[in-house]
Amino acid sequence: MLKQLSVFVENRSGSLMNVTNALLDADINIRAISSFDTPEFGILRLIVDEPEEAKAALTARGFVVRVGDVLAVELEDKKGSLNAMLKILADGNISINYIYSFVIRENQAPVMVFHTDDIEEATQLLENHDLIIVD
Amino acid sequence: MPNYYQPEVECASRDQIKAWQDERLVKQVKHVYDNVPYYRNLMEKKGVVPEDIRSTEDLNKLPFLTKDDLREAYPYGLLAVPLSDCVRIQSTSGTTGRRVVAFYTQHDLDLWDDCCARAIVAAGGTKDDVVHVCYGYGLFTGGPGLNGGSHKVGSLTLPMSSGNTDRQIQFMCDLGSTILCCTPSYAAYLAESIYERGLQDQIKLKAGIFGAEAWSEEMRQDIQNKLHIKAYDIYGLTEISGPGVSFECSAQGGMHVNEDHFIAEIIDPVTGEVLPDGEKGELVFTSITKQAFPLLRYRTRDICVLNREKCSCGRTHVRMSKPMGRSDDMLIVKGVNVFPSQIETVLLNKGYPANYQIIVTRENNSDKLEVLVEMTPEMFSDELSKITVREKELNGALKAMLGIYAVVKLVTPKSITRSEGKAVRVIDKRNLY
Repeated sequence: MLKQLSVFVENRSGSLMNVTNALLDADINIRAISSFDTPEFGILRLIVDEPEEAKAALTARGFVVRVGDVLAVELEDKKGSLNAMLKILADGNISINYIYSFVIRENQAPVMVFHTDDIEEATQLLENHDLIIVD
Repeated sequence: MPNYYQPEVECASRDQIKAWQDERLVKQVKHVYDNVPYYRNLMEKKGVVPEDIRSTEDLNKLPFLTKDDLREAYPYGLLAVPLSDCVRIQSTSGTTGRRVVAFYTQHDLDLWDDCCARAIVAAGGTKDDVVHVCYGYGLFTGGPGLNGGSHKVGSLTLPMSSGNTDRQIQFMCDLGSTILCCTPSYAAYLAESIYERGLQDQIKLKAGIFGAEAWSEEMRQDIQNKLHIKAYDIYGLTEISGPGVSFECSAQGGMHVNEDHFIAEIIDPVTGEVLPDGEKGELVFTSITKQAFPLLRYRTRDICVLNREKCSCGRTHVRMSKPMGRSDDMLIVKGVNVFPSQIETVLLNKGYPANYQIIVTRENNSDKLEVLVEMTPEMFSDELSKITVREKELNGALKAMLGIYAVVKLVTPKSITRSEGKAVRVIDKRNLY
């Protein structure tokens, strides 16, 4: 299980940079980033090395921030591995709210980050199939 | 235990108040007729002479004055005493057109200070209080008015003026301010800032006297809860004197008009006919004790109701409702009357901050009403669907209140400009006038 930051950003030039700049000033390392946008605003989702510090740094700059749990699963870099993981979850009747990916540089492994309402159950299922949960 | 500054006046019998008003009105009309050619000309046009005015029953024979008259007569046209008898000038914050200037003799300042002193005492003020005044000082009447009232009460007065929030809070903590005087939007901003700094336990405020802009009952509750104070409304306008034309008592059920100095009427804003008590209309004031700048039947443009029922505080002076809008800042959007206070009510009911902005635009001859609302940690969610649901609820509530659709736009916290004086709530980009 990983901690993910969600940040409210307005659709305006420079608004993403304002977030990354605040994190840079607080010496936070960003490991993954994904954005969800609507015509009016966006939700920026981030995986960082120090989530609580990052939240404090952003809140101090006036951002609205939430920290929540997501699951991150390390996959093999080959065709079909994402499909296999999703099949396990689908068979277990777990629904995914959203998903995005990043790469762990050391072993070049792709990591899928996803959000579900059933974190415990999904973790159990994936571990039963010998998948590596990143934390 | 009710508190009065001048109990013999504030709790006088209705007969006594009527007697004062009759006598002072007759005298004032003669004073104005003799000394203000601008108003004498208006009276002549209407065929009225001072002898026609024998009591308050004759008030409706007199012509009205409007802000346009004040602008036309600027600067000295409505002055009723030699300039050498005046000791002070104040001016409206006027964002449009020419400013309006008002003149005061020492006698006028004394009476104005008395009115403000009544408001402070009604809010529980005594000589042991520390009155923190962060209305602007200068041409704006807010600061000087409450300052003078506080001196009369004998309270320790902190003439902070507006702005510099850090210093406001520091003095509030260090000097133990007990009564806060400012605009309600600044009070709400101060409350937020106090919480941000974690200083809420160091604040000794017990009451606040807030005026100079429209605020809703919900906003009052919000401020009262956040600052743990009782929030009192105060009303006034530079043209009539300044704050303290009327003020709220502990019953918080309308503002007592200082009727020994000002006669209040409610008129139909279209026909000018005087309306009976209890009916909603435009508030009109006649100043019966002022020497330098005595306005007769001045149209305030504030829409109010007068209430002559006995007040539980013991005061006998008529109460006016909080202005329900101004006949000149009311918005007409898609042909529907919209008051910013209605939008504020909805936002606060739904848990949004009172800081908002209304933007009205016109595209292809169709009006668009946009409401900018600041996102809060409580409203924000990682899931778009939850935010959308809240947005839809807000849209529905606005539609129910206003009768027209308003586009809600969620913006970054604190991104809506907070003026430290009057808040800019409405931006009308339609150029209708």
